[in-house]
Amino acid sequence: MKCEEARLLLDPYTDDELPATERTALHDHIESCAECGPEAEALERLRADIRQSVPMYRAPESLRSQIRSDLRRAAGGASAMARAPGWLAYAASILLAVAVGSGGTFLLTGQRQENAIGDELIDSHLRSLLADHLTDVASSDKHTVKPWFAGRTEVSPPGVDLAAQGFPLVGGRLDLIQGRPVPALVYRAGKHIINVFVLPGRPNELSEAVTRRGYTLRHWSGGDLGYWAVSDASADEFSKFEQAFRKATGG
Amino acid sequence: MAWLSERRKRSRFETVVMPHLDAAYALARWLSRNDADAADIVQEACLRAFRYFDTYRDGDAKSWLLKIVRRTCYSWLERNRPTEIVPLETWEGEIGQESVTAGDTETLLQNRSDLRRLDRLIEALPAPLREVIVLRELLELDYRAIADVANLPIGTVMSRLHRARSVLRQGWDDKDVGQ
Repeated sequence: MKCEEARLLLDPYTDDELPATERTALHDHIESCAECGPEAEALERLRADIRQSVPMYRAPESLRSQIRSDLRRAAGGASAMARAPGWLAYAASILLAVAVGSGGTFLLTGQRQENAIGDELIDSHLRSLLADHLTDVASSDKHTVKPWFAGRTEVSPPGVDLAAQGFPLVGGRLDLIQGRPVPALVYRAGKHIINVFVLPGRPNELSEAVTRRGYTLRHWSGGDLGYWAVSDASADEFSKFEQAFRKATGG
Repeated sequence: MAWLSERRKRSRFETVVMPHLDAAYALARWLSRNDADAADIVQEACLRAFRYFDTYRDGDAKSWLLKIVRRTCYSWLERNRPTEIVPLETWEGEIGQESVTAGDTETLLQNRSDLRRLDRLIEALPAPLREVIVLRELLELDYRAIADVANLPIGTVMSRLHRARSVLRQGWDDKDVGQ
Protein backbone atom coordinates (compact mmCIF):
# COMPACT_ATOMS: atom_id res chain seq x y z
CA MET A 1 0.00 0.00 0.00
CA LYS A 2 1.21 3.45 -0.90
CA CYS A 3 1.40 6.23 1.70
CA GLU A 4 -0.89 8.43 -0.33
CA GLU A 5 -3.61 5.82 -0.28
CA ALA A 6 -2.95 4.97 3.35
CA ARG A 7 -3.43 8.58 4.48
CA LEU A 8 -6.89 8.67 2.98
CA LEU A 9 -7.85 5.51 4.80
CA LEU A 10 -6.56 6.51 8.23
CA ASP A 11 -9.85 8.16 9.20
CA PRO A 12 -12.13 5.24 8.37
CA TYR A 13 -9.47 2.98 9.91
CA THR A 14 -9.55 4.74 13.25
CA ASP A 15 -13.35 4.96 13.03
CA ASP A 16 -13.54 1.23 12.47
CA GLU A 17 -15.32 1.68 9.17
CA LEU A 18 -12.94 -0.24 6.89
CA PRO A 19 -13.72 -3.63 5.39
CA ALA A 20 -11.55 -6.40 6.85
CA THR A 21 -9.23 -6.80 3.89
CA GLU A 22 -8.39 -3.11 3.63
CA ARG A 23 -8.09 -2.95 7.34
CA THR A 24 -5.44 -5.64 7.42
CA ALA A 25 -3.53 -4.08 4.54
CA LEU A 26 -3.55 -0.67 6.18
CA HIS A 27 -2.57 -2.11 9.52
CA ASP A 28 0.47 -3.75 7.94
CA HIS A 29 1.41 -0.51 6.26
CA ILE A 30 1.12 1.55 9.46
CA GLU A 31 3.31 -0.95 11.31
CA SER A 32 6.07 -0.67 8.76
CA CYS A 33 5.90 2.95 7.55
CA ALA A 34 7.97 5.58 9.39
CA GLU A 35 5.62 8.36 8.33
CA CYS A 36 2.18 6.82 8.34
CA GLY A 37 2.76 5.18 11.74
CA PRO A 38 3.21 8.48 13.64
CA GLU A 39 0.41 9.96 11.55
CA ALA A 40 -1.99 7.27 12.74
CA GLU A 41 -0.83 7.78 16.32
CA ALA A 42 -1.38 11.53 16.11
CA LEU A 43 -4.89 10.93 14.87
CA GLU A 44 -5.62 8.57 17.75
CA ARG A 45 -4.17 11.10 20.16
CA LEU A 46 -6.43 13.85 18.84
CA ARG A 47 -9.47 11.62 19.21
CA ALA A 48 -8.51 10.67 22.76
CA ASP A 49 -7.93 14.34 23.62
CA ILE A 50 -11.35 15.28 22.27
CA ARG A 51 -13.01 12.59 24.36
CA GLN A 52 -11.12 13.66 27.47
CA SER A 53 -11.13 17.42 27.28
CA VAL A 54 -14.21 18.46 25.37
CA PRO A 55 -17.34 18.98 27.43
CA MET A 56 -20.35 16.79 26.81
CA TYR A 57 -23.28 19.16 26.96
CA ARG A 58 -26.41 17.85 28.62
CA ALA A 59 -29.95 19.10 28.37
CA PRO A 60 -30.77 21.22 31.43
CA GLU A 61 -33.56 19.89 33.65
CA SER A 62 -35.61 23.02 33.01
CA LEU A 63 -35.60 22.26 29.28
CA ARG A 64 -36.60 18.68 29.90
CA SER A 65 -39.63 19.65 31.97
CA GLN A 66 -40.49 22.44 29.55
CA ILE A 67 -40.63 19.96 26.70
CA ARG A 68 -42.72 17.54 28.74
CA SER A 69 -45.26 20.24 29.41
CA ASP A 70 -45.23 21.26 25.73
CA LEU A 71 -45.91 17.67 24.78
CA ARG A 72 -48.80 17.39 27.18
CA ARG A 73 -50.32 20.44 25.62
CA ALA A 74 -49.55 19.36 22.07
CA ALA A 75 -51.09 15.94 22.72
CA GLY A 76 -54.23 17.62 24.00
CA GLY A 77 -54.68 19.94 21.08
CA ALA A 78 -52.94 18.17 18.23
CA SER A 79 -56.00 17.28 16.18
CA ALA A 80 -57.32 20.82 16.31
CA MET A 81 -53.82 22.15 15.68
CA ALA A 82 -53.64 20.23 12.43
CA ARG A 83 -56.71 22.05 11.22
CA ALA A 84 -55.37 25.53 11.97
CA PRO A 85 -54.82 27.38 8.71
CA GLY A 86 -51.28 28.19 7.73
CA TRP A 87 -51.78 31.92 7.55
CA LEU A 88 -52.05 32.00 11.33
CA ALA A 89 -48.37 31.24 11.50
CA TYR A 90 -47.64 34.37 9.53
CA ALA A 91 -50.11 36.41 11.47
CA ALA A 92 -48.29 35.40 14.63
CA SER A 93 -45.30 37.59 13.96
CA ILE A 94 -46.51 40.09 16.48
CA LEU A 95 -48.73 39.21 19.34
CA LEU A 96 -50.80 40.57 22.15
CA ALA A 97 -51.96 38.54 25.04
CA VAL A 98 -54.71 39.05 27.54
CA ALA A 99 -55.37 36.79 30.43
CA VAL A 100 -58.41 36.61 32.63
CA GLY A 101 -58.27 35.40 36.21
CA SER A 102 -60.81 34.65 38.94
CA GLY A 103 -61.79 32.22 41.70
CA GLY A 104 -59.74 30.69 44.46
CA THR A 105 -57.30 28.59 42.47
CA PHE A 106 -55.01 31.35 41.35
CA LEU A 107 -54.70 33.52 44.41
CA LEU A 108 -52.51 36.29 43.20
CA THR A 109 -51.78 37.74 46.57
CA GLY A 110 -48.26 38.95 46.14
CA GLN A 111 -45.95 40.55 43.66
CA ARG A 112 -43.91 37.39 43.36
CA GLN A 113 -46.74 35.12 42.22
CA GLU A 114 -47.81 37.83 39.86
CA ASN A 115 -44.38 37.99 38.28
CA ALA A 116 -44.27 34.24 38.04
CA ILE A 117 -47.58 34.02 36.25
CA GLY A 118 -46.69 36.98 34.06
CA ASP A 119 -43.51 35.24 32.99
CA GLU A 120 -45.42 32.06 32.37
CA LEU A 121 -47.93 33.87 30.19
CA ILE A 122 -45.19 35.48 28.14
CA ASP A 123 -43.41 32.15 27.86
CA SER A 124 -46.63 30.53 26.80
CA HIS A 125 -47.00 32.98 23.99
CA LEU A 126 -43.46 32.64 22.79
CA ARG A 127 -43.99 28.90 22.90
CA SER A 128 -47.21 29.07 20.94
CA LEU A 129 -45.30 30.90 18.23
CA LEU A 130 -42.33 28.58 18.36
CA ALA A 131 -44.53 25.55 18.16
CA ASP A 132 -46.50 27.08 15.34
CA HIS A 133 -49.49 26.48 17.54
CA LEU A 134 -51.54 29.61 17.72
CA THR A 135 -54.98 28.08 17.89
CA ASP A 136 -56.53 24.72 18.71
CA VAL A 137 -59.85 25.84 17.33
CA ALA A 138 -59.73 28.33 14.50
CA SER A 139 -62.93 30.24 14.10
CA SER A 140 -64.11 33.81 14.00
CA ASP A 141 -67.45 32.72 15.41
CA LYS A 142 -67.72 33.20 19.16
CA HIS A 143 -70.46 30.54 19.20
CA THR A 144 -67.89 28.05 17.96
CA VAL A 145 -64.98 29.12 20.11
CA LYS A 146 -66.73 29.42 23.46
CA PRO A 147 -68.31 25.93 23.47
CA TRP A 148 -65.04 24.39 22.34
CA PHE A 149 -63.58 25.12 25.76
CA ALA A 150 -66.51 23.46 27.60
CA GLY A 151 -65.23 20.54 29.64
CA ARG A 152 -61.65 21.30 28.75
CA THR A 153 -61.01 24.04 31.26
CA GLU A 154 -62.05 25.05 34.75
CA VAL A 155 -63.44 28.37 33.60
CA SER A 156 -65.59 29.27 30.69
CA PRO A 157 -63.99 32.17 28.85
CA PRO A 158 -66.26 34.99 27.73
CA GLY A 159 -67.11 34.60 24.06
CA VAL A 160 -66.67 38.02 22.58
CA ASP A 161 -65.89 39.08 19.07
CA LEU A 162 -64.43 42.55 18.86
CA ALA A 163 -64.38 42.73 15.05
CA ALA A 164 -66.49 45.88 15.08
CA GLN A 165 -63.91 47.54 17.30
CA GLY A 166 -61.09 46.40 15.01
CA PHE A 167 -60.07 43.27 16.91
CA PRO A 168 -61.59 40.23 15.15
CA LEU A 169 -61.61 36.87 16.93
CA VAL A 170 -59.20 34.37 15.36
CA GLY A 171 -59.81 31.32 17.51
CA GLY A 172 -59.03 29.64 20.81
CA ARG A 173 -56.20 27.68 22.30
CA LEU A 174 -55.55 25.60 25.38
CA ASP A 175 -52.39 26.45 27.31
CA LEU A 176 -50.81 25.00 30.38
CA ILE A 177 -50.35 27.70 33.03
CA GLN A 178 -49.18 26.71 36.49
CA GLY A 179 -49.88 23.13 35.60
CA ARG A 180 -53.52 23.72 34.65
CA PRO A 181 -55.27 23.88 31.31
CA VAL A 182 -56.11 27.50 30.68
CA PRO A 183 -58.13 28.82 27.74
CA ALA A 184 -56.61 31.46 25.53
CA LEU A 185 -58.70 33.50 23.13
CA VAL A 186 -56.87 34.69 20.06
CA TYR A 187 -57.63 38.04 18.47
CA ARG A 188 -56.18 40.07 15.68
CA ALA A 189 -55.28 43.74 15.93
CA GLY A 190 -54.42 44.87 12.43
CA LYS A 191 -51.40 42.76 11.53
CA HIS A 192 -50.92 41.86 15.19
CA ILE A 193 -52.19 38.79 16.96
CA ILE A 194 -53.91 39.01 20.33
CA ASN A 195 -54.15 36.12 22.77
CA VAL A 196 -56.55 36.15 25.72
CA PHE A 197 -55.90 33.80 28.63
CA VAL A 198 -58.71 32.94 31.02
CA LEU A 199 -57.63 31.85 34.48
CA PRO A 200 -59.89 30.99 37.35
CA GLY A 201 -58.96 33.21 40.28
CA ARG A 202 -59.99 35.86 42.75
CA PRO A 203 -60.60 39.27 41.23
CA ASN A 204 -57.54 41.36 41.51
CA GLU A 205 -57.65 45.06 40.84
CA LEU A 206 -54.39 45.82 39.14
CA SER A 207 -54.30 47.87 36.01
CA GLU A 208 -50.74 48.91 35.77
CA ALA A 209 -48.84 48.04 32.63
CA VAL A 210 -45.43 46.47 33.10
CA THR A 211 -42.97 45.70 30.35
CA ARG A 212 -40.88 42.59 30.43
CA ARG A 213 -38.69 41.07 27.74
CA GLY A 214 -40.22 43.35 25.14
CA TYR A 215 -43.81 42.44 25.96
CA THR A 216 -46.19 44.61 27.89
CA LEU A 217 -48.21 42.90 30.56
CA ARG A 218 -51.48 44.36 31.84
CA HIS A 219 -53.89 43.07 34.38
CA TRP A 220 -57.39 44.18 35.26
CA SER A 221 -60.59 42.62 36.52
CA GLY A 222 -64.18 42.54 35.36
CA GLY A 223 -67.16 40.86 36.94
CA ASP A 224 -65.68 38.05 39.00
CA LEU A 225 -62.84 37.61 36.56
CA GLY A 226 -59.38 39.11 36.58
CA TYR A 227 -57.84 39.93 33.21
CA TRP A 228 -54.21 39.70 32.15
CA ALA A 229 -52.78 41.17 28.99
CA VAL A 230 -49.41 40.74 27.29
CA SER A 231 -48.53 42.68 24.19
CA ASP A 232 -45.76 44.01 22.01
CA ALA A 233 -48.20 46.18 20.11
CA SER A 234 -48.25 49.93 20.67
CA ALA A 235 -49.42 51.21 24.06
CA ASP A 236 -52.25 53.03 22.34
CA GLU A 237 -53.55 50.00 20.50
CA PHE A 238 -53.14 47.89 23.59
CA SER A 239 -55.15 50.30 25.65
CA LYS A 240 -57.92 50.41 23.03
CA PHE A 241 -58.10 46.64 23.05
CA GLU A 242 -58.37 46.54 26.82
CA GLN A 243 -61.18 49.08 26.76
CA ALA A 244 -63.04 47.21 24.03
CA PHE A 245 -62.62 43.90 25.83
CA ARG A 246 -63.73 45.36 29.19
CA LYS A 247 -66.75 46.96 27.62
CA ALA A 248 -67.80 43.79 25.78
CA THR A 249 -67.41 41.65 28.89
CA GLY A 250 -69.25 44.13 31.07
CA GLY A 251 -66.10 45.00 32.98
CA MET B 1 -60.76 8.46 21.15
CA ALA B 2 -58.41 10.65 19.18
CA TRP B 3 -57.45 12.18 22.48
CA LEU B 4 -56.65 8.77 23.90
CA SER B 5 -54.38 7.90 20.99
CA GLU B 6 -52.66 11.26 21.42
CA ARG B 7 -51.91 10.22 24.98
CA ARG B 8 -50.54 6.93 23.80
CA LYS B 9 -48.43 8.76 21.23
CA ARG B 10 -47.04 10.99 23.95
CA SER B 11 -46.13 8.09 26.18
CA ARG B 12 -44.40 6.31 23.29
CA PHE B 13 -42.56 9.50 22.40
CA GLU B 14 -41.44 9.72 26.01
CA THR B 15 -40.00 6.20 25.89
CA VAL B 16 -38.50 6.26 22.41
CA VAL B 17 -37.36 9.83 21.80
CA MET B 18 -36.84 11.57 25.13
CA PRO B 19 -33.84 9.39 26.14
CA HIS B 20 -31.92 11.15 23.35
CA LEU B 21 -32.56 14.64 24.64
CA ASP B 22 -28.97 15.05 25.86
CA ALA B 23 -27.64 14.18 22.41
CA ALA B 24 -30.16 16.58 20.85
CA TYR B 25 -29.08 19.35 23.17
CA ALA B 26 -25.37 18.66 22.59
CA LEU B 27 -25.78 18.91 18.82
CA ALA B 28 -27.83 22.12 19.09
CA ARG B 29 -25.32 23.54 21.57
CA TRP B 30 -22.37 22.84 19.27
CA LEU B 31 -24.12 24.23 16.23
CA SER B 32 -25.52 27.35 17.91
CA ARG B 33 -22.56 27.80 20.30
CA ASN B 34 -24.91 29.21 22.92
CA ASP B 35 -26.83 27.62 25.82
CA ALA B 36 -30.05 29.63 25.63
CA ASP B 37 -30.30 29.29 21.86
CA ALA B 38 -29.63 25.56 22.07
CA ALA B 39 -32.51 25.20 24.52
CA ASP B 40 -34.87 27.13 22.23
CA ILE B 41 -33.81 25.05 19.25
CA VAL B 42 -34.25 21.74 21.05
CA GLN B 43 -37.64 22.80 22.35
CA GLU B 44 -38.78 23.69 18.86
CA ALA B 45 -37.25 20.51 17.41
CA CYS B 46 -38.96 18.28 19.98
CA LEU B 47 -42.34 19.75 19.17
CA ARG B 48 -41.67 19.18 15.51
CA ALA B 49 -40.52 15.65 16.24
CA PHE B 50 -43.69 15.04 18.21
CA ARG B 51 -45.81 16.34 15.39
CA TYR B 52 -44.00 14.13 12.89
CA PHE B 53 -43.82 11.20 15.27
CA ASP B 54 -46.36 9.31 13.17
CA THR B 55 -43.75 9.16 10.41
CA TYR B 56 -41.16 7.58 12.70
CA ARG B 57 -40.77 3.88 11.99
CA ASP B 58 -38.92 1.59 14.30
CA GLY B 59 -35.27 2.23 13.84
CA ASP B 60 -32.58 4.50 15.13
CA ALA B 61 -34.52 7.04 17.21
CA LYS B 62 -31.35 8.93 18.07
CA SER B 63 -30.53 9.62 14.41
CA TRP B 64 -34.16 10.39 13.70
CA LEU B 65 -34.26 13.04 16.43
CA LEU B 66 -30.81 14.44 15.60
CA LYS B 67 -31.86 14.85 11.99
CA ILE B 68 -34.80 17.02 13.06
CA VAL B 69 -32.64 18.94 15.55
CA ARG B 70 -30.05 19.63 12.88
CA ARG B 71 -32.65 20.91 10.42
CA THR B 72 -34.27 23.04 13.11
CA CYS B 73 -30.84 24.39 14.01
CA TYR B 74 -30.06 25.56 10.53
CA SER B 75 -33.43 27.13 9.94
CA TRP B 76 -33.12 28.82 13.34
CA LEU B 77 -29.68 30.14 12.43
CA GLU B 78 -30.98 31.34 9.08
CA ARG B 79 -33.71 33.27 10.85
CA ASN B 80 -31.63 34.66 13.68
CA ARG B 81 -28.01 34.74 12.57
CA PRO B 82 -28.00 34.62 8.78
CA THR B 83 -24.43 35.87 8.55
CA GLU B 84 -23.21 32.74 10.31
CA ILE B 85 -24.33 30.45 7.53
CA VAL B 86 -21.17 30.16 5.50
CA PRO B 87 -20.98 27.52 2.79
CA LEU B 88 -17.97 25.28 3.18
CA GLU B 89 -16.64 26.39 -0.20
CA THR B 90 -16.61 30.02 0.93
CA TRP B 91 -14.78 29.12 4.09
CA GLU B 92 -12.27 27.05 2.16
CA GLY B 93 -11.88 29.96 -0.24
CA GLU B 94 -11.20 32.40 2.56
CA ILE B 95 -8.47 30.40 4.14
CA GLY B 96 -7.01 29.19 0.87
CA GLN B 97 -7.34 25.90 -0.95
CA GLU B 98 -3.95 24.62 0.12
CA SER B 99 -3.62 22.90 3.45
CA VAL B 100 -4.57 25.00 6.43
CA THR B 101 -1.71 26.11 8.61
CA ALA B 102 -1.86 26.80 12.31
CA GLY B 103 -1.58 30.45 11.41
CA ASP B 104 -4.85 30.33 9.50
CA THR B 105 -6.60 28.76 12.42
CA GLU B 106 -5.07 31.41 14.63
CA THR B 107 -6.49 34.14 12.45
CA LEU B 108 -9.89 32.54 12.61
CA LEU B 109 -9.82 32.45 16.35
CA GLN B 110 -8.14 35.80 16.83
CA ASN B 111 -7.06 34.72 20.23
CA ARG B 112 -3.92 32.73 20.68
CA SER B 113 -4.87 31.36 24.08
CA ASP B 114 -8.03 29.82 22.61
CA LEU B 115 -5.84 27.54 20.57
CA ARG B 116 -4.97 25.72 23.73
CA ARG B 117 -8.51 24.55 24.06
CA LEU B 118 -9.79 21.81 21.86
CA ASP B 119 -13.41 22.81 22.40
CA ARG B 120 -12.63 26.29 21.10
CA LEU B 121 -10.93 24.79 18.08
CA ILE B 122 -14.04 22.75 17.37
CA GLU B 123 -16.25 25.80 17.83
CA ALA B 124 -14.11 27.67 15.32
CA LEU B 125 -14.69 25.05 12.63
CA PRO B 126 -17.24 25.95 9.97
CA ALA B 127 -20.57 24.25 10.67
CA PRO B 128 -20.29 21.56 7.94
CA LEU B 129 -17.01 20.35 9.49
CA ARG B 130 -18.08 20.99 13.07
CA GLU B 131 -21.21 18.87 12.77
CA VAL B 132 -19.42 15.78 11.47
CA ILE B 133 -16.85 15.99 14.27
CA VAL B 134 -19.55 16.40 16.92
CA LEU B 135 -21.67 13.59 15.50
CA ARG B 136 -18.70 11.24 15.27
CA GLU B 137 -16.54 12.02 18.29
CA LEU B 138 -19.01 13.31 20.85
CA LEU B 139 -22.28 11.64 19.89
CA GLU B 140 -20.51 8.49 18.66
CA LEU B 141 -22.49 7.95 15.48
CA ASP B 142 -21.08 5.71 12.75
CA TYR B 143 -20.65 6.93 9.19
CA ARG B 144 -23.97 5.62 8.02
CA ALA B 145 -25.84 7.40 10.81
CA ILE B 146 -23.90 10.64 10.24
CA ALA B 147 -24.72 10.45 6.54
CA ASP B 148 -28.37 10.02 7.46
CA VAL B 149 -28.47 12.85 10.02
CA ALA B 150 -26.51 15.35 7.91
CA ASN B 151 -28.08 14.20 4.64
CA LEU B 152 -24.72 13.56 2.99
CA PRO B 153 -23.19 10.73 0.96
CA ILE B 154 -20.93 8.53 3.11
CA GLY B 155 -17.94 9.58 1.01
CA THR B 156 -18.56 13.20 1.92
CA VAL B 157 -18.87 12.31 5.59
CA MET B 158 -15.48 10.64 5.34
CA SER B 159 -13.78 13.52 3.54
CA ARG B 160 -15.28 16.13 5.87
CA LEU B 161 -14.17 14.19 8.91
CA HIS B 162 -10.70 13.99 7.43
CA ARG B 163 -10.71 17.71 6.73
CA ALA B 164 -12.04 18.61 10.17
CA ARG B 165 -9.45 16.48 11.91
CA SER B 166 -6.64 17.95 9.84
CA VAL B 167 -7.65 21.46 10.85
CA LEU B 168 -8.03 20.47 14.50
CA ARG B 169 -4.70 18.69 14.52
CA GLN B 170 -2.90 21.65 13.04
CA GLY B 171 -4.30 23.87 15.77
CA TRP B 172 -3.86 21.33 18.51
CA ASP B 173 -0.41 19.95 17.72
CA ASP B 174 0.96 23.50 17.45
CA LYS B 175 -0.69 24.75 20.61
CA ASP B 176 2.59 25.18 22.44
CA VAL B 177 4.36 26.80 19.54
CA GLY B 178 4.99 30.51 19.81
CA GLN B 179 4.19 30.80 23.50
